[in-house]
Amino acid sequence: MILKLRHLLKTTIFISLTFFSCLLWAEIEQEQAIYAPVDELHASLLTIMEDADTKSFQERYDLMEEAVITHFNSPLIAKVILSRHWKSLEEQSQSDFIDLFNRLTISTYVDRFDSFSGEYFKNLSIEQMKENRFMAKTEFVRTNDEPVSFNYIVQNDDDGWKIISVIANGINDLSLKRADYSAIIKEKGFDALIDSLKEKISDLQPK
Amino acid sequence: MTGSHLFKLPKLLILTAILSLMTGCATTQNSETIGDNDPLEPANRVVFNVTETLDKHLIKPIAEKYVDTLPVPVRTSVTNFFNNLGYLNVILNDFLQGKVHQGITDILRFTYNSTFGIAGLFDVSTPIGMPHNVEDFGQTLATWGVDQGSYLYLIAPTTTRDITDQVPSTLLNPFFYMQGLIFAPISALSAVNTRANLLEATKIRDEAALDRYSFTREAYLQQREFLIHDGEPPATGYDDIFGDASDVGNTGSGTGNDEESGMLIIE
Repeated sequence: MILKLRHLLKTTIFISLTFFSCLLWAEIEQEQAIYAPVDELHASLLTIMEDADTKSFQERYDLMEEAVITHFNSPLIAKVILSRHWKSLEEQSQSDFIDLFNRLTISTYVDRFDSFSGEYFKNLSIEQMKENRFMAKTEFVRTNDEPVSFNYIVQNDDDGWKIISVIANGINDLSLKRADYSAIIKEKGFDALIDSLKEKISDLQPK
Repeated sequence: MTGSHLFKLPKLLILTAILSLMTGCATTQNSETIGDNDPLEPANRVVFNVTETLDKHLIKPIAEKYVDTLPVPVRTSVTNFFNNLGYLNVILNDFLQGKVHQGITDILRFTYNSTFGIAGLFDVSTPIGMPHNVEDFGQTLATWGVDQGSYLYLIAPTTTRDITDQVPSTLLNPFFYMQGLIFAPISALSAVNTRANLLEATKIRDEAALDRYSFTREAYLQQREFLIHDGEPPATGYDDIFGDASDVGNTGSGTGNDEESGMLIIE
């Protein structure tokens, strides 16, 4: 009887351990998958920072272009930013806007991350939002200044996990751009927005 | 309290009350516009444009000269000095928000910096684990459940809720009780130093913004939410911008929108 009980206890412990290990493993795997696009983006940012003195703007742009195109869900970002205006655009205009928006994002990264003095990114934690959407929290640690909080909203779609928004020190880039672009469209129209974006991209190029 | 202070106080209270009432009325009149947090936009834009012009031609050049002339350690000490002068307001709001431990730490921080830090010129508290906290009466009202109210642009962005901080922050600042000729130059130094500390932020804004007014408003309101939640706003709050979408990842023509709220609803 005692042997049977002991056997039952051992089996229960074994099954429980296996079950919880699987759960833990699944959770770790999911966290790694969520952080994957963020880690890739960060690696590219650190590279363009380290290369700031040795490589040209265009070379650093090419490196960032791959990271942004691969790891951001640009069509969704563009659609959310243009909000109610998106539907009124022809497919070609939507596509042109996405392309222009990507160019602005890449140019901004290359312009801002233009020096290196030992900075690094630190992954903090993930937080579930709605359904297949998570917030991946990170910190940009600087040597002589306070760290900057960089949080990413990451969503799992047909193409895997992709970044759909960047929140720097609490300021959501998506909301900021939507308010900004909406004001221009409201006042001057969509064509004026396109012209302004082209001008911004041009301003960011080295003179 | 001297006669001069008794004169300043009612003016301050009246100004705050008028602004709150004025914008409160405006909010009520426009309350049918869902999601509109800027019912005074036309007036705000006028003030914003005047302030920006004044800044461009007068304040910003002075701030740039100030940065070029004074070395970083001196400017850091000036910032520390003014931060310390305003710290009693931080302590009050710590306790009003129920942050007792932080309040006690901030009392110690204020005492250390005022004494060992030579009237606050040096921040001797941060290195020993007493960091600078940012609390104000606007944040306190938010934690008590008061809505942010209407956005306002005076000489800087604020809201009808956040402007109420002017009363405790002024009354609790020892600088308010200073007399004589020293008041004007110290006020000017405070203003120039504040603007100098914002040079980098406004440079980034000017590089990125297509419409500086909208950009400033959005950044301010988001930054306030960040501070109210002590740097940890709930992640779910960021879902709102995507609307109630089940297949938000798809793109193309299958989109609809909620015209009233301006939120994107993807069918």
